[in-house]
Amino acid sequence: MITTSNLSKKYNDNVVLNIESLEIPKGQSFGLVGNNGAGKTTYFSLLLDLIQPTTGYIKNNDIHVHESEDWKPFTSSFIDESFLIGYLTAEEYFYFIGELRNQNKADVDALVSQFEDFFHGEILNQKKYLRDLSKGNQKKAGIVGALIGNPEVIILDEPFANLDPTTQIRLKQIIKDLAESKGVTVLISSHDLMHVTDVCERIVVLEKGEIVKDLETNAATLKELETHFAN
Amino acid sequence: MIKHFLSLEWKQFFRASYFQKGIAIKILLFFGAIYFGGAAIFLGIGVFFILKKAVPDVDPIIMFNNFLIYWFLFDLALRFFMQQLPVMNIKPLMTIPIKRNTVIHYLLGKTALSFFNFLPLFIFLPFSIVLLVHGYPVLNVLTWLISIMVLTLSINFINFLINKNNTFFYIILGVLAVFIGLEIYQVFKISEPLGVAFNALYNQPYLVVIPVLLMYGLYRKNFSDIKHGFYLDGTISKKAEKVSNIDLTWMNRFGSIAVFLKNDVRLILRNARPKQVLMMSFLFLFYGLIFYTQETYQKMPAFLAFASMFVTGGFLMTFGQLVPSWDSEYYKLLMSQNIPYKKYLESKWYLMVVAVGISFILSTPYLYFGWKIFGMITAGALFNIGLNSFITLFGGALNRVPIELNVKAKAFSNTNGFNPTQMLIALPKLGLPMLLFYIPYKLVNFEVGLIVLALSGVLGIVFRNFFLSKIESLYQKGKYKTIAAFSEKN
Repeated sequence: MITTSNLSKKYNDNVVLNIESLEIPKGQSFGLVGNNGAGKTTYFSLLLDLIQPTTGYIKNNDIHVHESEDWKPFTSSFIDESFLIGYLTAEEYFYFIGELRNQNKADVDALVSQFEDFFHGEILNQKKYLRDLSKGNQKKAGIVGALIGNPEVIILDEPFANLDPTTQIRLKQIIKDLAESKGVTVLISSHDLMHVTDVCERIVVLEKGEIVKDLETNAATLKELETHFAN
Repeated sequence: MIKHFLSLEWKQFFRASYFQKGIAIKILLFFGAIYFGGAAIFLGIGVFFILKKAVPDVDPIIMFNNFLIYWFLFDLALRFFMQQLPVMNIKPLMTIPIKRNTVIHYLLGKTALSFFNFLPLFIFLPFSIVLLVHGYPVLNVLTWLISIMVLTLSINFINFLINKNNTFFYIILGVLAVFIGLEIYQVFKISEPLGVAFNALYNQPYLVVIPVLLMYGLYRKNFSDIKHGFYLDGTISKKAEKVSNIDLTWMNRFGSIAVFLKNDVRLILRNARPKQVLMMSFLFLFYGLIFYTQETYQKMPAFLAFASMFVTGGFLMTFGQLVPSWDSEYYKLLMSQNIPYKKYLESKWYLMVVAVGISFILSTPYLYFGWKIFGMITAGALFNIGLNSFITLFGGALNRVPIELNVKAKAFSNTNGFNPTQMLIALPKLGLPMLLFYIPYKLVNFEVGLIVLALSGVLGIVFRNFFLSKIESLYQKGKYKTIAAFSEKN
C-alpha cells in the first residue's frame, strides 16, 4: 500500500530522515517508535505531503504523494491539534470532515454513534467549542474525525498521549478492528512501547532518522524493545 | 522582583514575531510612526490657532475644554476595540514565591505603558507648550495637563473594568452618537456642563486632586477585582464561551462550496479577530461621506471613483488580504484533507461578493448625493466583485503570517499582512479604479467612465475561472512555505 524509496529529508546539512526502503502492505497495523527527534513526525508529514522530501519519494497506493493529490480521498490523519478547527463544536467538525469526504449527515451520525463508548460522554452534545475542550478530549475528537469517510489509510501521530487509561484501552480495540476486520492500513507512532506492541503487527524503530529495527510483533517484542531503549 | 518581570517583558517584546520582520517593514513602520506622531504634534500645535481663528471671541482653551469629553469617549471606544486586557502569562507565576500583590501591581502598572496612554501626550503636550508660549499661567497649564494625563490613565483602567462585556461598547458608541447628534442639532449641548468641569480643572489648579482620586479609586477597583480572581479559573483565565448555534443548512444550496462557506461564516461569528475586521469594514461604508461632502472633490471625479470603490470594498479588502491566514490554525488539516483548492478559493470569493452586495444595499442612502454618486458606487461595487476580489486574493497568496483567531489585534503590533508585497498589491487595488474611470472620463465623458469601470468588473466575473486557476497555481506553488510559516507559533 505504502512504498517508501530512497527517502531523505535534510534541513541545511542536518539529515533528519533517511529511509532507503520501506514497504507497508495493505491492512497492516504499523507502529513507529523512537525517541524525540528520531523522525517519526517527519515521516508522517512527508507521507501527507506537508513537507517536501530532499530525495526519494513515497507512493501511497501507487500514487506519488508529492506529485498528485489523488491519495487524499482515501487517506486520513490526525497529527496534532492543528488538525482541529478550534471554533467548531465536535459535531460541526465531524460534519465538516464528512462533507469533505462526501458523507452525508446520516453517514457521519452512524459512524460517530459507534464511538459513544470511546467518547465517554465528553465530546458530543457538550455545547463547547473544540478549543475549549481538554487536550485529551480534543484528541478523541481528532482521532474519530480521522475515521470518517471510510479511509483506506489512517495515520495517527502519538494517539495514546494525553488519553486517560479507559480511553487508551478502547482506542487499542478500535485500531485493531480497523486493521483486522476492515483491511485498513493504520500507521501510528507512539512513545508507549506496551501499547504499540499490543496494537501493531509490525514495529519499526527509528533512530536519528534511520531504521534500526523492523520487527514482526510477537511475545518477545516488548522485551526486545525495552532492552533496545534501555541502552 | 520587578526587575525580573521587566527582563521577561523585555525579552517578550524583542523576541516577538513582529520584531523579526524584514528591514523593509521596520523602515516602513518607523516612517509610519514618525508620520502619525508628527501629524499628532502638528495637530496639537495647530489646534490653538485653528480654534482662535474659528471662534475669535472665545478663549481657545475654553473651546478646547468644551469638546474634551468627545475625545475621552472616543478614546474609550478605541481602547475597547483595540486594547487587550493585560494578561501576563500568569500561570507560571502563581506557584513561585512572589507576593500576589506584587504581581498584580506589576500587571496593572504595565498597562500604564500602553501606546494608548502616550497618544494623547502627542497632542496635549504641544498644545500646552503653545499655551505657555502665549503667556498662559504656568501653574494652571501644568496642572491641567497633569489632570488630562491622569484622566487618560483613568480611562485606561475603566476600559479594563468594562472590557469584559460587549454591551458596554455599544452603550459607549450609542452615547457618543446621541451626544453628537444633540450637539449638531443644538438640542442639548453636553459639551457645556462638562466643558465647565474641564475649565474648572484649568482655572483651579488644586482641583487636580479630583482626577488623581478618581484614578486611584479605579486602580483599587481593578486591583481588588484581579486579586479576587487570581486563580486559574478566575478572572485571569479565559472563559469557555457559550456555543452560538446558528442553523446554516440553508447555505447548502450553494452546492460544492457550501461546506467552506458555512465554515467561514462560523469563523467570522465565533472569533475575536475576524469580528474586529467585520466591524472595521463596516466603518468603510462611511468613507464616502468624507469625499462626497467636500466641494473640492466634486471637481476631481477620479477621487470620487476611488472613494466609491472603498464604500463597498471594506470587507473585501480587510478580510480578503488575509485569506489563507484566517485558516492558519488548521492549515495542515486543509492541506491533507480531501479538498480541491479551487473550491476553497471560490468560497472565499463568494463570501467577498456577498459582502460587497450587502455593503451595496447598505450604501443606498448615498442616493441623497444624487444619481451620479450612486452610479459611481454601483460601478465601484462591480469593480470590487470582478477585479478587486481577485487582486486581493492574489495578494493574500503572498501573505504567510499566521493569525491567532480568537485574539484581538493589538494596535501597532498588527503588522499581519503588512509587508512590501502587500503594499505593491495595494497599488492596483487603489489605482486601477481611478485609472479605469479617469481615462475614458477625460477622453469621452462621465457616463462612459462609469461604464468602463463597471464593465471591467463584469469582465472579471466572466473570466472568473481563469483568474481562480491562476491564483490556485500560485497557492500550490507556495504550499510548503505556507505550511511551514503557519506552523510557527508567534
